[in-house]
Amino acid sequence: MTTSIRSQLLAWLLGALLIAGLLIGYSAYHRAQEDIDELLDYQLKQLAFSLSHQSVGSAPIPPGLLLPEPDFITQVWDKDGVRMFYSRPNLGIPMRPRPGFSNVEWDRQSWRVYTQLDGFRIIQVAHPLSLRKEMAADLTRRAVLPLVALLPLLGVGIWIIVGQALRPLSSISSAVRARTPLALEPLPQQHLPEELVPLVGSLNDLLQRLNRALEAQRQFVADAAHELRSPLTAVQLQLQLVRRADSIEERAVALERLERGVQRSTRLVQQLLTLARQDPQDAEAGFSAIDLDRLARDVIADFEPMAQRDGLALTLDSEGLLQVRGDRESLRVMLGNLIDNAIRYTRQGSVVVRLRAKGEHAVLEVEDTGTGIPAAERARVFDRFYRVPAQKANDEGSGLGLAIVKRVADRHEATVTLDSGRGGSGLRVTVEFPSGNS
Amino acid sequence: MRLLLVEDDAMIGEAVRTGLRQDGFTVDWVREAEAGDAAIRAEAYALLLLDLGLPRKSGLNWLRELRRLGNRTPVLILTARDAVADRVAGLDSGADDYLVKPFDLDELSARVRALLRRDAGRAEPLLRHGELTLDPATHEANFRGETVNLSAREFTLLAALLERPGAILSRAQLEQRLYGWGEEVESNAIEVHIHNLRKKLGPEFIRNVRGLGYTVSKPS
Repeated sequence: MTTSIRSQLLAWLLGALLIAGLLIGYSAYHRAQEDIDELLDYQLKQLAFSLSHQSVGSAPIPPGLLLPEPDFITQVWDKDGVRMFYSRPNLGIPMRPRPGFSNVEWDRQSWRVYTQLDGFRIIQVAHPLSLRKEMAADLTRRAVLPLVALLPLLGVGIWIIVGQALRPLSSISSAVRARTPLALEPLPQQHLPEELVPLVGSLNDLLQRLNRALEAQRQFVADAAHELRSPLTAVQLQLQLVRRADSIEERAVALERLERGVQRSTRLVQQLLTLARQDPQDAEAGFSAIDLDRLARDVIADFEPMAQRDGLALTLDSEGLLQVRGDRESLRVMLGNLIDNAIRYTRQGSVVVRLRAKGEHAVLEVEDTGTGIPAAERARVFDRFYRVPAQKANDEGSGLGLAIVKRVADRHEATVTLDSGRGGSGLRVTVEFPSGNS
Repeated sequence: MRLLLVEDDAMIGEAVRTGLRQDGFTVDWVREAEAGDAAIRAEAYALLLLDLGLPRKSGLNWLRELRRLGNRTPVLILTARDAVADRVAGLDSGADDYLVKPFDLDELSARVRALLRRDAGRAEPLLRHGELTLDPATHEANFRGETVNLSAREFTLLAALLERPGAILSRAQLEQRLYGWGEEVESNAIEVHIHNLRKKLGPEFIRNVRGLGYTVSKPS
């Protein structure tokens, strides 16, 4: 169900006015009734008093003489209870011997009766109570009616005023509608009602973050497309060379090169997918307690054949159980990339994976005796597709390995630092996980 | 024809060099603009094949520098940048042609031949000299109405001699045309190729100027 601020405001304001009107009517009615009671009682009393001064003998007063209101009934009895006079012959209220005011139910009506005893006569003046109610109702009606008559007018007024007040909302909504993924400029913030400033502020904040994310995504896609061209170019050229090969030997060489080209393309695509999967949006989803020691043993076992092929010693230096909270697969990929890099850029010597606890923190290190990364390059090697110039020409890397490491570390709120190895040469990558892991 | 290839990607560089060699070109391959600069000062190249995304110095900057210094070598850009603006920038920086990766080896060879032809001031794809016609695309020669099959090296050597008829090219100059860096040159390779060419075209077509080198006389 959709709710409209305009209709809600209209309904509530009119409802409140209606209730206020009813309350005013109710209190006006009561005030009027009290006033009328007082006034008419006084009138009854005066009437009775004036009659008592008339010399009404035993002769009945001619009918019609004492009729200030047709609603009034006036009756006079002598002390023996003989009715000497009644103003309405067909309406005879039974005699009330008790003096003063009283309410009497008679002839299916309520009556207000005033009885006066003056020694030898009983004078009774009465009128129906409904008369008072009608008068009170009439007075109330006159007080409330203008208010009721104003209600529709007020409703129209409220409708228009609320519409005016909400106009900035519809201009904001059309401005938001005009935004596209390609045009996410901030919404105009001038001439805004105070109440809408925080909303537009947050919207602009969102637009800005969205814009940055989209820009990064666009840049990544452009970079990826550009980077995919190189291995594909190589593969296409290598394929043509296979076709052109005249001899079995030439063909064998060409095929071997083609195979390496295909492997390189496959690796790049895999790395791209891995990177895309490390999306930080669901950072903690799927995290569990991971034993780094076991994980390192698994990954080292995977890379053992590669290290052996290159004549490198790949070893683990660990104090045993070391736990972090994290995503097992991502951590595997991270350590795998670090070891893969270490082996790739180390001609001879060793690759050591080191695990240790540093206070509350878990620290993972991969150190090699290879070419290392010049200090000036260390800040840039985490950029996607960036390759160290000296290595770029000779390797078939994707330029994504360390970018993936960084992404995984970020997801785990871990820091990555690059240093030279212990002997001053080679590379040592240190990943330090935050405290509070268990 | 000796070409300089500047390409930082090992696989692409290797494949382009192999393919162009098969098409009869001599190819020197470097991976950085700086090395290319050194090479182009040391050797005379008929054409420069230039990748733009080089590690330290961009290919485009180097090209502008070359042109500013008056280098007239035809330049063919090989790049993954395919936007129109990139192509325009490439050509306006002094390149003669622009080929977007991935490309076809045959197309690359054809473009190289076209650029070399234009550079030599010819419009005709075939090389003619008297009764001899050479087709650079197929390496076929036609001599006195008969088709003569030439090896890639024989073809390159003959084409070099026909470039400026009457000029004498020394053995060293011919070797320089035929062999790129790192290619083993057998001591009597040029003599062997000349011997084979004389067998196919007759003994008097290529003259030996004793102590100086070889020449092809101007057509009468």
